[in-house]
Amino acid sequence: MKPAVILVGADKGGVGKTTVSRALLDYLAANNILTRAFDTESPRGTLKRFHGPVTEVVDITETSDQMRILDTLNSAQIKVSVIDTRAGALGATLRALRDVGFLDAVRAGEFSFTLLHVLGPSIASLDEIAETAPFIDDANYFLVKNHINATTFFEWDPVTNRKYFEKVNPSGEIVIPKLDEMAYEQVEIAGTSFSTFVANKTAGGEPANASFVLRGYVRTWQAKIADELNRVRLLDLLAQR
Amino acid sequence: MQPGRDWRGPDGSPDDAEEKRPPKSYVFICCAPHGRVGVSTTARLWSDYFLASRRGFVGFDADPHEPDYAPRFSGRVQNVDLASTQGQIAMIDRLLVPDGEAKIIDLWSRSYDRFFTLIQDIGFVEEARSKNVEPIILFHADASQASPAAAWSLANALPTVETLLTYNEGAAPLGPDAHERLALYPPHRRLKIGALDALVSRALQPPDLSLSWFLIEPPSDMSLVVRAGLKSWMTPVFSQFRAFEMRRALEEATWLI
Repeated sequence: MKPAVILVGADKGGVGKTTVSRALLDYLAANNILTRAFDTESPRGTLKRFHGPVTEVVDITETSDQMRILDTLNSAQIKVSVIDTRAGALGATLRALRDVGFLDAVRAGEFSFTLLHVLGPSIASLDEIAETAPFIDDANYFLVKNHINATTFFEWDPVTNRKYFEKVNPSGEIVIPKLDEMAYEQVEIAGTSFSTFVANKTAGGEPANASFVLRGYVRTWQAKIADELNRVRLLDLLAQR
Repeated sequence: MQPGRDWRGPDGSPDDAEEKRPPKSYVFICCAPHGRVGVSTTARLWSDYFLASRRGFVGFDADPHEPDYAPRFSGRVQNVDLASTQGQIAMIDRLLVPDGEAKIIDLWSRSYDRFFTLIQDIGFVEEARSKNVEPIILFHADASQASPAAAWSLANALPTVETLLTYNEGAAPLGPDAHERLALYPPHRRLKIGALDALVSRALQPPDLSLSWFLIEPPSDMSLVVRAGLKSWMTPVFSQFRAFEMRRALEEATWLI
C-alpha cells in the first residue's frame, strides 16, 4: 500500500472531530492497520489523551511539524497517518498541504489522501463544504454527519439541503450515530480509547470496573461506525497501490 | 440456584473444574408486550417460591409509575426506570453478578421493546453466559392476535434463550383457540398460572401479604375457605417451578453424560 493520510477536520468547533478520529483509530486498529496520529490541537492535544502511544501533538502551521508529518510518510514503517485538525484549522491545514506540494504528490499517485469532513448541525458548518471544494479534486472526500444530537442536517428542507450538499461531489457520506451521553462521559473520565473501555481495561492495561451497559452502548456504537466505514470501503481505499 | 451445592462427581471425587464454578445464576424475565396479563403475579410467585424454600433472590420492578411488585418485597426488589441509562445500569449490571442468586424481573409492558432491543444491542445474553448467568424468558401470552406474533418474534430475536410460555388463566384467558396456541410449546416449556376465585383473588391484593409466610403461617384472621383456595392455587404453580429447576439441574449435570 502507498502511504495514506486521513485528515479529519472541520472549521466549526464542537462537531466531534476528535470523537471521529478516536473512532477511526479504533476501527483501523481493529482491522490490524498500524496507524500513527497527529493531533493539531497544539499544545494540549485532546486526541493524545485517548491514544497517547500513537499520537504526536503538532502545529500544522509550523514548517518543522509539517516536515515531521509529511517528510516521514515514505520512510515510516507505519503507512497510515491520521491528522485530527483543531477547530478552525481545516482551511489552514488544506492550504498548508497544498503549499508544501502534498496535494500535487497525491495527484501524482505518490500518496493517498482521504478527507473526513465532519459536519455539525449549523449553516456555518455547511458553509465549509464550499470552502473545502478547491482542495479535494484528488482526495477521497467524505462528508461525515456526526449525530451528536438529533440533528437532521436540514434534510427536512430540500432547498437548503441541496444548496450545500450539491456543491461538491463527495466519495460518500459517513453517518456517525449518537452515542449514549453517559457512556460517552464515562469514556472521557476513563481517558482511554473506546476499544479499551469496551475491553474493560484502564489506560494502563489493568482490569477496570466499567458498567456492562455502558460498554455495550460503546460496542454497539463502534459496530455501527465500522459498518459505515466498511460500506464506504475505507480499507480498500487505504490498500490502494 | 442452590447455594452450597456439592459439585462432586458420582464417585465422590471432587471435580476441580466443577468445584470452582459458582452455581448458575438464573435471570427470570417475566414479560409481555401487553399489560394486565399477570406478569407481576408471576414475578411475585417466583419470589415467594425462593423465599419459601429459604433462598434469596434479587428483584427488579421496571414499572416506574405504578409498581406493584416492588412494594411487596421492599429491600429485595428495586424499582428501576429502563428509559434512563442509570436505570439500565442499576438493573443489567446487577443481573450479571454471578452470585448464584436468582434474579427476577417484572418487566413493564411499556418497557418491553426497549428492554429487548437493549439487551440485543449490548450483547447481554453472550455476556451472561460467559459469567454462568442464564436468562429465562417467561413470555406471558394473551388472547390477542398480536400475542403469538410477539412470542415468535422474541424467540427469533433470542433463539438461544429458553422461553417459557406463561399463561395466566385468571388475568388473560387464552380463549377458544388456546389448545392450538399451547400446542406450539412442549409441556415443559409452558407455565400455567391457574385462575382464582374473585374472593380469594381479593385476599391476594394487600401489599403486605407474603405468600411465602402464608405457606408457613397463614394469617389467623383469614377465612379457611380463602386459605384453602390460595393453597390449592399456589401448589401447582410451585410444583411447576420445582419441575423447571429439576429439569435444569439434570440438564446441567454434565458428569451424568
